[in-house]
Amino acid sequence: MATQTIRRRTVMGGCVAAGAAVSLMLAGPAHAHTDHGDHVNEVDWPEDFTSAYSAMAVPDEVVVPEGEPSPIDEDATGDFMLWLNSELDVICYEIALEGVTGNYESPAFTATHIHEGPTGEAGPPRVAFPDPQSEGDGPRTSSGCMEGPFVTGVEDDDGNDHGDWFTVSQIEDDPTAFYADVHTEEYLDGVVRGQLTQVPLDGVETGGGGETAQQGIAIAGPAAGVGAVALLAAGAYVLIMRRSRNQQV
Amino acid sequence: MRRVLVAAAAGGVLLGCAQSAAGEDAPGQPVVGQPTPADQRPGAPQTSSEPSEGNWPDRDAGPEASGTAAEAGAAAPERVQIPSIDLDEDELIDLGIQSDGRLEVPTDWDDVGWFAGGSRPGEAGPTVIAAHVDSRSGPAVFYRLPEMERGDEVTVVDAEGGVHLYQVERTADFPKDDFPTREVFGAGTEDELRLITCTGEFDAAAGRHLDNRVVFASRVE
Repeated sequence: MATQTIRRRTVMGGCVAAGAAVSLMLAGPAHAHTDHGDHVNEVDWPEDFTSAYSAMAVPDEVVVPEGEPSPIDEDATGDFMLWLNSELDVICYEIALEGVTGNYESPAFTATHIHEGPTGEAGPPRVAFPDPQSEGDGPRTSSGCMEGPFVTGVEDDDGNDHGDWFTVSQIEDDPTAFYADVHTEEYLDGVVRGQLTQVPLDGVETGGGGETAQQGIAIAGPAAGVGAVALLAAGAYVLIMRRSRNQQV
Repeated sequence: MRRVLVAAAAGGVLLGCAQSAAGEDAPGQPVVGQPTPADQRPGAPQTSSEPSEGNWPDRDAGPEASGTAAEAGAAAPERVQIPSIDLDEDELIDLGIQSDGRLEVPTDWDDVGWFAGGSRPGEAGPTVIAAHVDSRSGPAVFYRLPEMERGDEVTVVDAEGGVHLYQVERTADFPKDDFPTREVFGAGTEDELRLITCTGEFDAAAGRHLDNRVVFASRVE
């Protein structure tokens, strides 16, 4: 995957760190599985990321066992935005749940996860995020950064945690093989789910500067300064030579 | 003297642009992101399956087969028309994600592209269309994009002939190094459109404009 990293806004880091702290502090009795603090390596927002992912989790994407009723909480959505630094094995997240009600419930440490599984199939959890919490009537939110190794609290048949051996680079290798979801007491299979989609980092380089040059405005940078000085000097030289020639004539 | 100042500015730009474009028509880096298959994009309908929480298929064994084939997704955008700036481009090109994580840009200054890994017209989420505001020597295809205002209409025609009408909700300038990824590219529940180009100061040393102009539009028809 990418070896070149992208600098990301630093202001955001402060906000996210504060948001994460608030989220953890807000864990209350309405949300049973929020003892995540003992099992997560929270880290500061890195300066650089190698990739970004988005998922809009909705009830329709939840996969349920045949014969069981599908989720009917149609108003629920889960907006997941993820930034990865695969060199540091760090994942940063901003999660906002709208219309999700009731207590969280999951055998994992928390009920907000990244699972490994393609569209239409369920798979094991690889990352357990702190469950989003609400302030008043607003959406439930959580944000922060976590560093591997990741622990989910759920073990496979061999007694290994489902987060063992997982690194965020696996998402970069095949983002479509992972999905984000949230589980509640009422919707144990998931109240919302969304497959990860890679999105671009930072801004878009859609200009060559030519029109700016024609307008003679807004040129910045030492190279421009050097170029301008050089051409100004050249222009002055031409003017002097012309005057000199005129005087000679 | 005025002529000399203009020439000086042009000289600086040409020097800087070499860093953003390998040649006059070759901006960008290797692309790693490819268009996501229709049945793997967000919003693709799910049907049946197995599991329940705590009973996932073994990682090495792979997930058990389940579900049915997803319905065909929406068609890719093929043409964009913006009457307010006299723009009508009928051959949109696919844009992926470069190896540095950024959006690929058209290699031709006059091509208009769309982020082929994102949503398509008619789907939930933003369809993202991007093009250059200027080349190294003058205006490019999205030169007049910054003139767009709230209320302007944009028509996108998809590859199957479907017509999607959007209306501009707002426009905004963002520093490229402090770019609201979630706001511009993030998944959503509504059929929306983003138009992106460059604006603001041109950093000749870096060979790039420092800001992006983003036009946010919502589906109206």
